[in-house]
Amino acid sequence: MSGEKAGAVDPDAYSDVWVFVEEHAGDVMTVSWELLGEARGLADDLGEDLVALVIGEDVDEVAREAVERGADRALVADDPVFEPYRADPYGEQFRALVEDRHPAVVLIGGTHTGRDFAGRVAVPAHAGLTADCTELGVDDDGLLEARRPAFGGNVLATIVCEDHRPQMATVRPGVFAAADRDPDRDGETEQVDVVVDERDTLSEVRERVVGDTADITEADRIVAVGGGCDGDLAPAEELADALDAELAASRKAVDEGWVDGSRQVGQTGKTVRPELYVAVGISGAVQHVEGMNDSEVVVAVNDDPNAPIFEHADYGVVGDLFEVCPALAERLREDGLVDADAEPEAKP
Amino acid sequence: MTTDPTIVVGVKQVPDDDEVRIDPDTGHLDRASAPAVLNPPDRDALEAALSLRDAAGGTVVAVTMGPPTATDVLEEAVAMGCDDAALITDRAFAGSDTWPTSLTLAAAAESLGADVFVCGEETTDSSTGQVPPGIAAHLGWAQVTYAEALEPEFDDGRLVARRDVEGGYEIVAADLPVVVAVAYGEFEPRPAGLHRKLYAETEFEPLELSAEDIGLDDGEVGIGASPTEVGGMETVEPVERERETVEDAAELADALADAGVVG
Repeated sequence: MSGEKAGAVDPDAYSDVWVFVEEHAGDVMTVSWELLGEARGLADDLGEDLVALVIGEDVDEVAREAVERGADRALVADDPVFEPYRADPYGEQFRALVEDRHPAVVLIGGTHTGRDFAGRVAVPAHAGLTADCTELGVDDDGLLEARRPAFGGNVLATIVCEDHRPQMATVRPGVFAAADRDPDRDGETEQVDVVVDERDTLSEVRERVVGDTADITEADRIVAVGGGCDGDLAPAEELADALDAELAASRKAVDEGWVDGSRQVGQTGKTVRPELYVAVGISGAVQHVEGMNDSEVVVAVNDDPNAPIFEHADYGVVGDLFEVCPALAERLREDGLVDADAEPEAKP
Repeated sequence: MTTDPTIVVGVKQVPDDDEVRIDPDTGHLDRASAPAVLNPPDRDALEAALSLRDAAGGTVVAVTMGPPTATDVLEEAVAMGCDDAALITDRAFAGSDTWPTSLTLAAAAESLGADVFVCGEETTDSSTGQVPPGIAAHLGWAQVTYAEALEPEFDDGRLVARRDVEGGYEIVAADLPVVVAVAYGEFEPRPAGLHRKLYAETEFEPLELSAEDIGLDDGEVGIGASPTEVGGMETVEPVERERETVEDAAELADALADAGVVG
């Protein structure tokens, strides 16, 4: 196969594992630290360096933190043109860096911004890009094996890219553990040439409004709502308060506008792995189950006894969620099973 | 300044998600088991494109890349109100991953003279979301993904969009020409009119274009130009759950205490 493909390159000319650190006004998306943790192992397996790619404005601290979380080097493109994020200047900067530095592997968080960026940059590099991976590995020949659920999570497909570089993948938030911070870790920070000029950009961000950025992937307990709630979140919120749990949602509840998309669990949302996952009024489509299957204990509350969610639950109650949730909250408090004086969580 | 803009909408025929079966022996999708339907997010894209035309004039052309049977989704698009439709079909496209797929749709957009190329955020059969930014990259155009609302400022050569981001939104003004991927669930698709439906089914013939027609060489598309390969498939064993039904909240509280997750 080697060399036969259109646009194929010499793989030996490419080295190092890059992680794109997604940063907005100084705040780093947690998935970037998750990727650094996972990529540290990949780089070690390949005997190569782990490089953090930091693009933004005034990002020295972000670059330093990337080193403290495992990067051997941080490449920093620091310029006002990069704040806030826009696909075209970020893509152009990345294209120049790939041409100059030849990374073998590039990993990007599967956020809306990460998917926007990855889809933009794989084309000029003629790179293979695997979407929403849940496992990463290296085969005997040093090829990246990017694994992603396919066909509604029934199958895990392994995608490889023999003749093109870099080998690129987006990875879902919450799949890997975030790399710990070690303030004593040494590493190099390198400022790279900025190749983008504001006058050549194709878009302008007029306003950026970000409020709720709760990270449900870190939660120990989750109460998730679905279509069965009919827009009334009060019973689920009461239960979440009692359990000191984060509120999450199925795609249906997000599409209906009841809950912010940052709290969506499932194939197009986040992967969560709490100790307790309570699915309230969620039917249990495979796409949703895929995002919560790693939960330790799953509880389902649904008035439809045939709802598929019961197949994926440890404990199921067939009943009206508007009665079951408040009753459970009350019972937990009465029996002293939860801290009755716990401060209610801020409402999303 | 853009008068009479051409708005091209990319649509795709996909296996019906609700009907798809998995071959128990191979673990692969049994495509023959599921009827082919219009990718649901693309219906939102059609609505977004038609609304843009309602607001700013011009024409809407639906385009799909696929086998001749994909004409069905073009008929749906025309029934919904698209002015015209094009089927991009060629054996050379077989086995295309997202890279040559975006190249093909980019070439189609250019051939059709698109000012705006609208897509759904992703397709339900592959769920990568890579094609819309890929099209923009091939063309060197601006892009807006996860668009929740659109405001044409075509007279000033711009399209303004509200874009969904983690925990909030952005207002982005993008220069024309532009690729827009719309967030699923944000544009309520209009029903197809009876008259349009009849027209689409009986009179309408889509434009048919080959790779050569849109200026592509066979070697630039298809499996040979696809950087990714499927290296293997494993069936995922379902997680074993207790699947215990409890009567009420009180019993559930006890079960959770027994399981050690509360108390």
